[in-house]
Amino acid sequence: MRLGRPDVLFGLPNPDEYCRWGDCRMYLEMKNITMVFGSNKAVDNVSFSLKKGEIHGLMGENGAGKSTLMNILGGVYRPTSGQVFLNGEDITNIDEKKASAAGIRFIHQELNLVNDLKVYENLFLGEEIVNRFGITNRKLMRQRAAEVLEVVNMGDISPNTPLSKLDTLHKQLIEIAKSLLFEARVIIMDEPTTALSDHEIKNLFTIMRQLKAKGVSMIYISHKMPELFEICDSFTVLRDGKIVGNGYFHEIDEEKATTMLVGQHVNDKLDKKQRKSDVLLEAKNLSCDHYFKDVSFELRKGEVLVFTGLQGDGRRELAEALFGARKLTSGHVLLEDKPVKYHSIKSVIRSGISMVQRNRKERSIIKNMNVLDNLTIAQFAYSNKNFVVKKNDQLRVFHDCKRLLDVKASSPRMEITSLSGGNQQKVIISRWLELKSKVYIFDNPTQGVDVGAKFEIYKLINKLAEEGVSIIVFSQEYPEIEKIGDRCIVMYNGKISKVFDREEFNEKEMMYYSTGSDKKAV
Amino acid sequence: MQSVLNRVFNKENFKILCTDYSFILSFVILLIVALIFNPKFLSYSSIATLLSNATITGIVACGMTLVIISGMIDLSVGSIVSLSAGLGVLLLNQTNDVLLTLAFCIVFGALLGAINGVLVSYVGIAAFITTLATMSAYRSIITQIGQGGPFTVNKEILRSFSSVATGKLFGVIPYLPLFLIGVVLLIGFLLGRTKFGRYVYATGSNEHATILAGIKTKNVKLFIFIIIGALCGLSAFLLASRMSSVTASNAGFGYELDAIAAVAIGGTSMSGGRGRIAGTFLGALMMQMISVILIAAQIDPFLNGLVKGIIIIFAVAFQSSNRRNV
Repeated sequence: MRLGRPDVLFGLPNPDEYCRWGDCRMYLEMKNITMVFGSNKAVDNVSFSLKKGEIHGLMGENGAGKSTLMNILGGVYRPTSGQVFLNGEDITNIDEKKASAAGIRFIHQELNLVNDLKVYENLFLGEEIVNRFGITNRKLMRQRAAEVLEVVNMGDISPNTPLSKLDTLHKQLIEIAKSLLFEARVIIMDEPTTALSDHEIKNLFTIMRQLKAKGVSMIYISHKMPELFEICDSFTVLRDGKIVGNGYFHEIDEEKATTMLVGQHVNDKLDKKQRKSDVLLEAKNLSCDHYFKDVSFELRKGEVLVFTGLQGDGRRELAEALFGARKLTSGHVLLEDKPVKYHSIKSVIRSGISMVQRNRKERSIIKNMNVLDNLTIAQFAYSNKNFVVKKNDQLRVFHDCKRLLDVKASSPRMEITSLSGGNQQKVIISRWLELKSKVYIFDNPTQGVDVGAKFEIYKLINKLAEEGVSIIVFSQEYPEIEKIGDRCIVMYNGKISKVFDREEFNEKEMMYYSTGSDKKAV
Repeated sequence: MQSVLNRVFNKENFKILCTDYSFILSFVILLIVALIFNPKFLSYSSIATLLSNATITGIVACGMTLVIISGMIDLSVGSIVSLSAGLGVLLLNQTNDVLLTLAFCIVFGALLGAINGVLVSYVGIAAFITTLATMSAYRSIITQIGQGGPFTVNKEILRSFSSVATGKLFGVIPYLPLFLIGVVLLIGFLLGRTKFGRYVYATGSNEHATILAGIKTKNVKLFIFIIIGALCGLSAFLLASRMSSVTASNAGFGYELDAIAAVAIGGTSMSGGRGRIAGTFLGALMMQMISVILIAAQIDPFLNGLVKGIIIIFAVAFQSSNRRNV
């Protein structure tokens, strides 16, 4: 346990205590922040500080508490306990608006810009300069926009340009310009480089360094080690809501950082029979726009192949492309030595590939239809026979599904949305099992599913594999990968960065490769 | 007996009655009001008249049910009726062939619907805009052909032609309602018993998920427009037969409103994914009942539209307020 600090206890500043890392007073301080949601401690006694002109890398796996912490800083949440100081002023209980007025600016991963508006209109969106009759002063806004664009090296772009004409880097810079316009003192950037090319990242870093020299502090949230090591001075690693490490980047190396990120998980591999069998599916040099490039892999009969990586690695798009929901720009897929026909999703299904989608609510559930129709809809599309729906056939499928996956639905006529998340997912999986495909793609199959149902889904995947069905799973949960995977492909930046066989599975190494730690810095 | 009543009249069923089957509730209320104004409202002749009057827009409303369940809208129905009816009369006068005219009206209507469908599915223009544009275009074509004047059925064929709409089976049952009932059963079968019907609901409920289940929703939408076009063609044929003369600028005018209104008070969700053909059938009857009540209550017929508008808003507001609680 940490003792209360003398300045907090006695209300006296103590320069030595403040300056753990350097010679000056901390600009931003978050002290002993705890945030409780229900029975879950999202952030647990975290203290965090930032000097003027410092770039601080905030790391942690999904759900580690990064965004909760940043939302507390940005005034979206009020912490259950703890205090936040900005330049010595207590800002613990301010709201979002006041936080941004105080100079704390949050640049989200999904940019908050309006494509249909002009650059200057975006810069001043919601904070327009108006006269006392509420009429906007466009001349002044354009003038100030031009000034601030100069600061982010975009002086050649007119404030009147429609935003839609700009590329992603420039949109990113507009967000930064927007924060500068309102005198940001702390800018929080949530994975700003996901959509940027290497060259664009370099430009972004140049601007960040200029801002740093002007005394703007930044918090940089990212998974990408090379970037973190290049641009950040100091770091904090969160895991399960707690700080597991902090310090300066020049004191550590990438391996050490990865160890902190992952921690020591208990090794709980399930026993899986390993067999060598024939190659069933072969993907050659698959590419799609800037999402992924030259992805090649083989899938054996009865094998569970897992793709993992971190956000923005191109996995999602790869999953969609394999199912025909996204057009490949080049490359082809062979199934039993015959090319898979990619002209429609239906033709892909007919070739023998089924896919359980991620994000069930948006991509799988047809909310106004009952369990029975949700269960059988893919089968309708698959077979051309029988224009008229035969109730008995549908009911047979329902009972199969109940037997196989223990779906808890009292009646087949229940609305699908009245089932629990786990049961909904089981219905969706059964929808595809009925087609008896050769290859099943599971994209994040246990998203929003309770522990019991998760376990049943793992059991089902392993059982299918034993029956000789080949399975591709897209997952970013290591315990899941361990339970089902025969082989695991780690992706980084749209490319395969490493392939692991089951014996080599190791969370730390997988994280090492999915953060691109083996790559040289940009 | 008591337990049966309890089972039927429990809270759960009442909730369903107020949400999914609210059209039955509104129908009963309107029926009571109609009976107050006209105690003979339930006599055979007034029922037959009501059904006959509801037929021509009712058939269009059946097609509109498909369109709205799938999450779209069709504003061009009135113009399709007018264009098919006008050209149908011209063909009839040339050939004196009633059956050929019927076939022509249906096929030509389907063709006009297919144009809408291709524009919506394959060109990718929103259904609202597409059908708004074709509403104006189709109407303009027929007005030009008729030069503003009416298309009148020739004397020699008039008798046999108008007997389609005004005649009676065995001298008792008027033909017109039989067409409506036939279409209701057909669309009901399509929606309730076929794969296509499932696709219609699925497309309106979650199009993205439907596409990812391997269904070509573009084709589904195209077919829906072809079906509503064909039904408009049938409706045009019956209209021509009933009126024996079709005015280009007037025929089918406001049908889109009547059809959408019948679908709306029939309980079909305006955002798609939910709805029943039985609701539309009762909805179409309700629209006629409102007119009858207004006449019986001696309300100025010019206020007809006002009263209909208010009733639609009440019906839909009632549904959505109930659905929000679910």
